[in-house]
Amino acid sequence: MSKGTERRIARFSVTERTIHWMAAICFLYAALTGLALWSHKLYWLAWVLGGGSTVRGLHPWGGTFFALVLGFMFRQWASQMGLDSEDKAWLRHAYRYATNEEEGLPEVARFNGGQKMLFWLQSGSTLVLLASGLVLWWPELMPRTLLLAAVLIHPLAAIASIGGIILHIYMGTAAVPGAFRGMIHGWVSPGWAASHHPKWYRAK
Amino acid sequence: MMHVAKLIDTTLCIGCKACEVACQQWNDQEYTLGTFDGSYQTMPDLAPNFWNLIKFNEYERDGKLSWLMAKYQCMHCVAPGCLKACPAPGAIVTLANGTVDFAQENCIGCGYCITGCPFDVPRLSNTTKKVYKCSLCSDRTAVGLEPACIKTCPTNCLTFGERDALLHGAEARAQELRADGHAEAGVYNPAGVGGTHVFYVLANAARPEDYGLPKDPSVPWTVRLWKGPVKWLGTMVLVGGILGTFFHYVRYGPKEAHDVEGD
Repeated sequence: MSKGTERRIARFSVTERTIHWMAAICFLYAALTGLALWSHKLYWLAWVLGGGSTVRGLHPWGGTFFALVLGFMFRQWASQMGLDSEDKAWLRHAYRYATNEEEGLPEVARFNGGQKMLFWLQSGSTLVLLASGLVLWWPELMPRTLLLAAVLIHPLAAIASIGGIILHIYMGTAAVPGAFRGMIHGWVSPGWAASHHPKWYRAK
Repeated sequence: MMHVAKLIDTTLCIGCKACEVACQQWNDQEYTLGTFDGSYQTMPDLAPNFWNLIKFNEYERDGKLSWLMAKYQCMHCVAPGCLKACPAPGAIVTLANGTVDFAQENCIGCGYCITGCPFDVPRLSNTTKKVYKCSLCSDRTAVGLEPACIKTCPTNCLTFGERDALLHGAEARAQELRADGHAEAGVYNPAGVGGTHVFYVLANAARPEDYGLPKDPSVPWTVRLWKGPVKWLGTMVLVGGILGTFFHYVRYGPKEAHDVEGD
């Protein structure tokens, strides 16, 4: 197989990829409009995205769609995202993964401990963002106590979520060449699979 | 520029509501019939098109009912919570004379000012999706006129002038009231919001709640946390995340996959 077309290993199905990219687009919109409303220094984003009133009107919808898509993502992946003892051992030594000294790390299956953590971080923060966001959507109707909590909780959850996504984008593009192709075209090379997800590769 | 202020001497209010009419008339606002709930009060609460409400607080003492009438409107805080919470630059402005004005053309209708205000004053309009409140007649004060409510007040319950002088006058009036037997008389100019540009003389300043005024109001702590430390944290995560991943790449580079034997 070293000559001609490289063997392709199916990584993500069309459904998985569609859900992932729908979530990505909604997230990007909600995050950018959210950042515009979060700081005066980022208010220029509001002008780029159609003006302050537009951003205020559509940010909640962007967030709602994101939460909806994430619900589908949850249904599709939750059963594969449980952290077993090997994942926990992997996470304890995550700094070795981060510094590319991976000898001795437990072998990774379809998702590594970091990916699983990201999944749970996004699931949790989205739930919090949705709940607090619904409160902020209609301030004139909401009890004051809820509003006072929501203005604090909403940005905190957003910071956690955006922080996780910055890492996720980095890992999925520059840090792990080939990963992006897996999520766009749906397949990876055997070498990629064996290097990054050996247990999953062998099971294939 | 000197700071201006409005003084409300509640002991002189007769509940005539002329100030409500003047406010509606000058600001060209339609009066929509409110709820009749057995009170002399015009309507239960402020509205996007009703910025100045005389509250007829019913108060019982020694078995006798009395009204504690208090003008309910924007307090024009020195350190406004609405401004702290507002995400749209220029939608809430502090004028050179110290008053706080809403510029509806810049307002995006998020309603954060409602959360930031400890006096529950801004009102979001369902039709225009903008917030409204008393401007202290910024279009009148800009040309040296007093606000419409003050112009019309028949009892001098309302006075307008330079803030420091007016505060002085308020203290003098409170002292007069104390000498007159109102031992708890005082000035309501809450320090929690840095003082206000609308202050009250109350016959019982120890219990502002009786007048429908919050005791010791301040910008809510969650709003201060959100616009303070949480903002720094967010900046750290955002900038740190972008720079951190970039320099991680520079230091460690990509994770290259190795070839598989037999492939």
